[in-house]
Amino acid sequence: MSASAGLNSSDRKAGFDLPAWLARYGTLASLAALLIVFSLARSDVFPTVDNLLNIMNQVSILGTMAFGLTVCLVMGLFDLSISAMATLGGYVATFLLVQYPDTISVPLAVLISLAVAGAIGVFNGLIVSYLGISAFIATLATGSIITGAMLGISNSKTIITGIPDEFLVIGQGSVFGVSNPILIMLAIGVILWLLLEHTQLGRHLYAIGGSAEASRLSGIAVKRYAPIALAICAGCAGLGGLIAASVLGAGRPQGVGDTYLLNAFAAVFIGASSLRPGKFHIIGTFIGVMLIGVINNGLSVMGVPTYWQYIVQGVLLIIALFSAGLLTMRRH
Amino acid sequence: MSVSSPETRPALSAPEGAALLAKPDSDTVLEVKGLVKEYPGTRALDGVDLQIHRGEIHALLGENGAGKSTLIRLICGATRPTEGQILFEGRLVELNSPQQAQDLGVAVVHQHFNLVPQLSVAENLFLSQTLPRRVGLFVNWTVIEKRAAKLLDRVGLKINPWTEVSGLRPDENAMVAIAKAIGSDARIIILDEPTSALLPAEVSILFGHMRRLASEGHSFLYVSHRLAEVFEIADRVTVLRDGRRAGAWTREQMSRKTIIKAIVGGDKPWIDDTDGGRQDLGEPVFVANGLTGGRVRELSFELRSGEILGFAGLPGSGAEEALDLLFARSAASGGQLKAHGKVLRLRSPRDAKNAGIALVPKNRHAESLLSGASVRENISLPNLHRFVTDPVTRFIRRSKERTEGKEIATRLAIKMSSIEASIDSLSGGNQQKAILARWLASGAKIFMLNSPTAAVDIGAKADIYNLIREIAASGAGVIFTSTEVEEFPRVCHRVIVFRDGVVVGELTGAGATEANIMHLAVGGEDER
Repeated sequence: MSASAGLNSSDRKAGFDLPAWLARYGTLASLAALLIVFSLARSDVFPTVDNLLNIMNQVSILGTMAFGLTVCLVMGLFDLSISAMATLGGYVATFLLVQYPDTISVPLAVLISLAVAGAIGVFNGLIVSYLGISAFIATLATGSIITGAMLGISNSKTIITGIPDEFLVIGQGSVFGVSNPILIMLAIGVILWLLLEHTQLGRHLYAIGGSAEASRLSGIAVKRYAPIALAICAGCAGLGGLIAASVLGAGRPQGVGDTYLLNAFAAVFIGASSLRPGKFHIIGTFIGVMLIGVINNGLSVMGVPTYWQYIVQGVLLIIALFSAGLLTMRRH
Repeated sequence: MSVSSPETRPALSAPEGAALLAKPDSDTVLEVKGLVKEYPGTRALDGVDLQIHRGEIHALLGENGAGKSTLIRLICGATRPTEGQILFEGRLVELNSPQQAQDLGVAVVHQHFNLVPQLSVAENLFLSQTLPRRVGLFVNWTVIEKRAAKLLDRVGLKINPWTEVSGLRPDENAMVAIAKAIGSDARIIILDEPTSALLPAEVSILFGHMRRLASEGHSFLYVSHRLAEVFEIADRVTVLRDGRRAGAWTREQMSRKTIIKAIVGGDKPWIDDTDGGRQDLGEPVFVANGLTGGRVRELSFELRSGEILGFAGLPGSGAEEALDLLFARSAASGGQLKAHGKVLRLRSPRDAKNAGIALVPKNRHAESLLSGASVRENISLPNLHRFVTDPVTRFIRRSKERTEGKEIATRLAIKMSSIEASIDSLSGGNQQKAILARWLASGAKIFMLNSPTAAVDIGAKADIYNLIREIAASGAGVIFTSTEVEEFPRVCHRVIVFRDGVVVGELTGAGATEANIMHLAVGGEDER
């Protein structure tokens, strides 16, 4: 394996290195290929501006959550509480608006609900940094606690009546024909891209994810970063759930985030296999999110049964991770 | 090299030396003749002879890189020799796999004993064997318990076979590992630094068991850094140096002086020709007073501007641990530390860095490199705060970061395709230079370097030595430690030697020879 790989890289130094190209651009190429196939197959419905906006709208909540998840995966932390956090984000906002219609305005309700999510994220981070429990387990536990708390507070009842129109605008309004959820997703994407790529915080997150010990010995206060990363992730998950509640016009106390959990991880990991193999990054995550959106939309436009969406998505995830891993393996 | 015994003279080159040593009797269980092992670019072994007799405890000595581990790997079948022969009980064998060596009765007990701590002693003993079954299906634990009890009895361990290994003392661990070796019918047991984790009392228990097993006909090849132990236990000693046999002695012929001389080679003179010595040293920059923590006790020293101070000692002596302590990587329990005349209270590596201290740790890949990141990112890691646009958003000015990285990389002549190249694409020497560049860019005034030339090829070593001298010449204070004793005379102005956590001596200038360092590090009186 290593011998043949060595030959490849030296032989093809000047020429074209297919495995390296695939690892870098494979996901982007398959996204393009899917777009072409679906466009040819249903040229009347698929390749239209309306459908593109439709696809983006369908993935906007997923995208918002996946961008946040990217931040903590950069540091090497798995956040499994995002599904519960999304439920919380939507439910807390609607709950406040319905319970205190006179005192709490829509912006304030949004702010409070995101602050609660963020605070739980900080709590997750403190458990990880100072109790030494792995993020995987810690967030699984807090996720369960949140789910239980939501069910308790709500008495398992969905909030439907009394949600003000100003709140519904968040998910249902649009600017120049582009729906608000798309704009929110793109805004979060740009902000987190700037944060990860161009600020000291982002660089430290990448450094810790690369080697926590090297970072610590370079004078970075490693323990401070898990609360920050997990709070950002929790905030984004809460925002995603809040948009979902607004789109739906209802505050559900359970199950809002469940559909997004696996897809968000899939999107971020597909993203880590494109352009910069082996690294989590916002643009990659965006590609991953779009890929999932295009598959789901394209297959349903072509009339393929829904269950195929899951199968195709799973196969794609394996291929993407394998091709990225191939390049990483060869590097060492 | 001057020689006292007739056996040592021809050992390095002439085959008649081997003939003299190998008494042609059936007592030789393992014989190795003219073993050569070449790796790309290096000759790890260059014609080594070794005989191990039945019931003998044979010590194998040598510095790091002398070829000890290569020799062991060849004997246990982990790799094949380029040239030379291996004979078991007079029979020429070709070992293609560790399994083959095991079938011939060779077992290796590694430094950390290779036991699974969560499993019981009995389970560990038979881990690599086919277990007895009932109805060809279920493991027959009754038989296993009986066999385990029998084995433990043979090595003289009085423990329940179902004890979890994690609950055992270090010497019991060692004995379980040896029992495991005997359980696989090993005739020759190779012990690779088995005592490094053991307390003195535990060592003597282990030695007692070893002597008894040797008298029953088992042979031991015993690798250790601790000379005193070798004198206590070994029937014979073979010393390797630079891939060759530097000598072999029987118990009666051994003396500390000859053996140390064989290990380190001819006493190399003070090579530092570029440096004027201590006369141009400046003010004290780093002063420790009675610093205590972990293994290190009551450490006091004064490091002056422009000085390269060596911390020497055997593994576990506290020399390396002192660096971690000084960088607040491990906690100090007492003592005082001053830098540039100011008292330091260091609670974390971050505090140490902010006080202008730099640490280059020993294991580049685990402790200092950011694998997968660029050279630029590796150099700027501790220095990002200098490139931020403002204290709130903390955006990084990448052009400034890049310019500074390029500048220092050029100054240190780091060979790379560009500053954006992946750090993984650089050679070991250039990676290490990038790590040094990181700290030079940070403006540190106190440099602590742990084995900075580890896993670096010969040519790059000289570059790094020069770089260390330049760092000192620029007015910084440098503390240097290494697992290779020969580096101290080459690099340091002054060397302090650690043994059992305390400083046992100081050597300056021409007195800081390898042999003098070893004498202090090994310790004890010259008993022979």
